Amino acid sequence: MVTADTAFPNVPTRGRALPAFLIVGWRWIGRNPAVTVAPILLPFIFLYFLTFISPPSLLPLEIIGAMLFTMQNIGSWVLGDSATWRIECSLQDMFVASPLGRIRYLFGIAFSNLIAMLPALAILALLLAWVGGQHGVPLTPYAALVLVGSLTTLWVQFSSIGIAISSRVRTQREIWPVGNLTFTILGMLSPLYYPLSALPPVWQDAARFLPATYAALLVQGAMGITPATGMQMLLYAGLLAVTTAAVLVVTLRLYRWGEL
Amino acid sequence: MKIEPVPVLSPFRGFSAFLWTEVLVQAHENLAMATSMVVQGVLLVFVWILDPALIGVALVGAILFSMFAMGQRVLNEAAYVRIDHKANDLYLAGPLSPEAYFLGMSAGILVVYIAPVVILWVLAIEVVHFSVAVGLLLLALSACVWLFAASVGYVFSTFFRDNRAIWAYSSLFFNVFGVLPPVFYPFGKFPEALRPVVLLMPPSAAAAIVQQAIGATTLTSGQLLLASAGLAVETVAIFVFAIYWARRTVREN
Repeated sequence: MVTADTAFPNVPTRGRALPAFLIVGWRWIGRNPAVTVAPILLPFIFLYFLTFISPPSLLPLEIIGAMLFTMQNIGSWVLGDSATWRIECSLQDMFVASPLGRIRYLFGIAFSNLIAMLPALAILALLLAWVGGQHGVPLTPYAALVLVGSLTTLWVQFSSIGIAISSRVRTQREIWPVGNLTFTILGMLSPLYYPLSALPPVWQDAARFLPATYAALLVQGAMGITPATGMQMLLYAGLLAVTTAAVLVVTLRLYRWGEL
Repeated sequence: MKIEPVPVLSPFRGFSAFLWTEVLVQAHENLAMATSMVVQGVLLVFVWILDPALIGVALVGAILFSMFAMGQRVLNEAAYVRIDHKANDLYLAGPLSPEAYFLGMSAGILVVYIAPVVILWVLAIEVVHFSVAVGLLLLALSACVWLFAASVGYVFSTFFRDNRAIWAYSSLFFNVFGVLPPVFYPFGKFPEALRPVVLLMPPSAAAAIVQQAIGATTLTSGQLLLASAGLAVETVAIFVFAIYWARRTVREN
């Protein structure tokens, strides 16, 4: 009997998915540089707007919010890429047929989109270090570590939300509104650009179910913007882990791969 | 032999037919309709939480921004119809005139997307308590901003060759012109040196005029003239250009 191995003895069964997706991400930016400008500028546009309507003391908190919001927006990009490749290019069939598993596909797309967001995150980090120092809330190594951990958690989480939704989108026309609606609403419900205490009580209760809330509280606590005890920090970290796990369980169940 | 008279083809022929076609198409776009209020919703939430005293200005700004953002819908729709569905060839091969195609599409989008704007109107009336004259002024300025944005949106749509790039470019354009300048916040908070620039941008020019009318800001007579004349001239100019461009691109296609 002729098997795939005998017919195509040199077919690779292992591959370096992340470098490959890095090139995909880089090529997309290289060919359409202005496309990266819009999602990168959006957090800065919000920050600029906020300087007119909020007290200057909130600026470090708002910059942290912009960083977390940027990371959250990767979910929208993952949704867009994954849905376009599946619906318009019919590429997902090829990925399903390849040795690439669905989790590596998810991380691949998430990674390729992270490349596009890195310039914005770098600029915001520098801005945070400078503004934080001026406002007496320096970006210490500990705070930087917490910030990176929180950003990474949000990256995994929102990418998985993006890809899960993308696998359910049926037409090209749905991609932009679904992504925009989902990720902007999730971003606004969490206290990213304002302190949790500034929200009405009902909203505060709802926000406590969202992982980005704990990411924001952790970073704000680590920088000393919103005072938190060691126990509270541990609680926030635990709740971030729990909500992230819950999100991953739900999204991986929603995520359609080979059964399309 | 009987010679049939050549029918006189009017400009804008087929406008109402295409308007209602577009209304029927857009009426099925519930998600897009909800999305049309996202940016306004976010900014109103920011203002409500961080500086509630400005909510009246922000609501009036949200009305003007919503009319401006309809240009983004026109851009998306015109590009989708041309690139994705390739239906514009079919529409324009018939008796429908190019300018009626552009204006019918824009008006159809206006008819469907006006519902959330009406809600903003109700909220603005409740909060700002403006007079009938100010209401009429806001209506006229909204119409100008819509015509400007729809014309820009249609012209821009003809430059796209790739569906995937549309939303990024269009959201960038409409957010930069609608959110950065003083549309949702008082004109007086904007850096003084750059005020003439924002008075030449239709959304912020319209917002400055309304803010002056409701007493939220004070414009000099020169600034008022710059905003009014700039808005009128830019709107007429871009609308005329959009008609010319619609006719020209049909010939090219």
